[in-house]
Amino acid sequence: MLNQYILMADDDADDRFLVQAAFEDNKIDQKLLFFEDGEQLLDHLKDDNIKGITRFILLDLNMPKRDGRDVLRTLKADKQLSTIPIIVFSTSKAPDDINSSYKLGANSYVVKPSSYEHLKEVIQKISDFWLNTAMSPR
Amino acid sequence: MDGYSINKQILMHSTLKEEQLSWAIRFLFAISVFLIVILSSSYHSINQELIYYSERVDHSHEVLDKISEITIDTYVVTYYGRGYLIVGDSSNRRQLTYQAQKLPRRAEELSALVADNSAQVFKVRALTRALADYQSKVLRFVSTPPLAQAQLQRETLIKNGTASTQQIKAILNDMAQIEHKLMNNRVKSRNNYKQQILRFNWVIMGVALAFLLSSFILLERELKRNKLYKFELENKIENLNRSNSELEQFAYVASHDLQEPLRKIRSFTDLLVAKSKSTLSQDASLMLEKIEKSAVRMQLLIDDLLQFSRLIDTSLEVETVDLNEIIDEVKRSLSESIKETATEIRTSVLPVVSGYPSQLIQLFQNLISNSIKYSKEGVAPTIDIFLTEVAGHEIPHTRPHPSTDETPFYCITLRDNGIGFKKEYAEKIFVIFQRLHSQERFQGSGIGLAICRKVISNHNGYILSEGAEGLGAKFYIYLPKENLFTR
Repeated sequence: MLNQYILMADDDADDRFLVQAAFEDNKIDQKLLFFEDGEQLLDHLKDDNIKGITRFILLDLNMPKRDGRDVLRTLKADKQLSTIPIIVFSTSKAPDDINSSYKLGANSYVVKPSSYEHLKEVIQKISDFWLNTAMSPR
Repeated sequence: MDGYSINKQILMHSTLKEEQLSWAIRFLFAISVFLIVILSSSYHSINQELIYYSERVDHSHEVLDKISEITIDTYVVTYYGRGYLIVGDSSNRRQLTYQAQKLPRRAEELSALVADNSAQVFKVRALTRALADYQSKVLRFVSTPPLAQAQLQRETLIKNGTASTQQIKAILNDMAQIEHKLMNNRVKSRNNYKQQILRFNWVIMGVALAFLLSSFILLERELKRNKLYKFELENKIENLNRSNSELEQFAYVASHDLQEPLRKIRSFTDLLVAKSKSTLSQDASLMLEKIEKSAVRMQLLIDDLLQFSRLIDTSLEVETVDLNEIIDEVKRSLSESIKETATEIRTSVLPVVSGYPSQLIQLFQNLISNSIKYSKEGVAPTIDIFLTEVAGHEIPHTRPHPSTDETPFYCITLRDNGIGFKKEYAEKIFVIFQRLHSQERFQGSGIGLAICRKVISNHNGYILSEGAEGLGAKFYIYLPKENLFTR
């Protein structure tokens, strides 16, 4: 069986740390890979040497180099990579950001919770849905 | 004093001066019209007099002409009379008869001409008598052939004829003298009016020129001032636009950059509590709890601030809004708390206005939820919403708004039976983050009514409140009846 990964791209180290903590505290047994910007994420996905299945991507919108929108556009235009579920994970509640993300093909849009308790809950729900409820693309 | 009120004062001052000026202009205009009318009518009457006296002078000339004509006629009669006396022929006789018969007609003509002057009428009567006498004498003279008469008789005839002629001549001379005197007077009057009319011409021209000049100067000055105002206004609009876009940027900063660190504070406090619960002292947990609480409250404030700053958004489209539907919508979204508190909302029929539906929903939602929130303990809240109509100047403003004095407004009154507030707070409650109660008693950030005021000012209206402690609150929403939106 191939390795399975959950990917997260976020330029904020604290957020990466908190999400990791949330996964650990929820005892979700999945490999997490973190990237600091869109470019790193895309490089990883396009690297053919890495074998494995990406279960879903947690994608921040505002990042240096290539931002979340750019990543969304690139991935959804790619024949193979377009099947990977992308969950936009941003602080912004602005209707503009939400609408444009869905238009670019995001699979869902989740606002970063403002407390750790809430974050844990959200991570649990996301995992429940995308790992255990929804069928993954084959 | 802040910049806003200073500007306001300058504006008020200038409008006062403007008003005075506009009255001065009206006054000047009225006076100039009045003067020009008076002067023109005087000019007309003087002109009339001038024409009258000129005519009289002409008339005198006519009379004088007539007088000399009669004189000549008399001489002609005398001439033919003498000719007849010497020659005794029929030609002279015919001429003499003919000429003599003309005399009474001449007298009649003169009499018609001088009918307006009593002295001359008197004289002309004497003349008529003399001429008639003369004529009858001539006719008698004609009836006897002259050559048959003796030399002495002829001399007497000549003498008599001369005497009659002289008598007539004397009367005519008198008349001519009188007429000359009359004419002299009339010429004097005429010349006098001629001069007056010349003076009047100059006076009217002078007055008209003076008013034209002063109007021109005033207008010129006004135009200059207007230009200055326009420049000032444009400047102010530019400043406003700038500060508006700065506010929008601020909204973005508040939404993203300020929330980010706050989220971290909350998250890490949470995490700290979760991870180290067992090792934390009671004091430390208590303090962490306080940090958490403060952070939550700050989050609320930022959210509210954001909500408020979104009202600056100018990209919304103006729609036709039925306020009855707005109230229904608000009732629906507050249905739970309305049911819970057994709130009764009585609404009269409300108008249809132009505006932004989402903002109007927010307005009524804030007001009604306030009424529910600040209700008396143990008393079910009742809210009455009813409509009246007023003119702009009837709105009890704190600042004057002369431009909307005549504009008709809808006044929507919202009255509740809640705890009310002290009279002196009627304005303060609309200020952002101003609260009358402690956080413990009533939760909230104090933004609700600030949002209401912003919404109403976006709709070119006014919102005022009235309250008394323990007697409920009243909110007056004034919305212009006509669409005052510029786009």
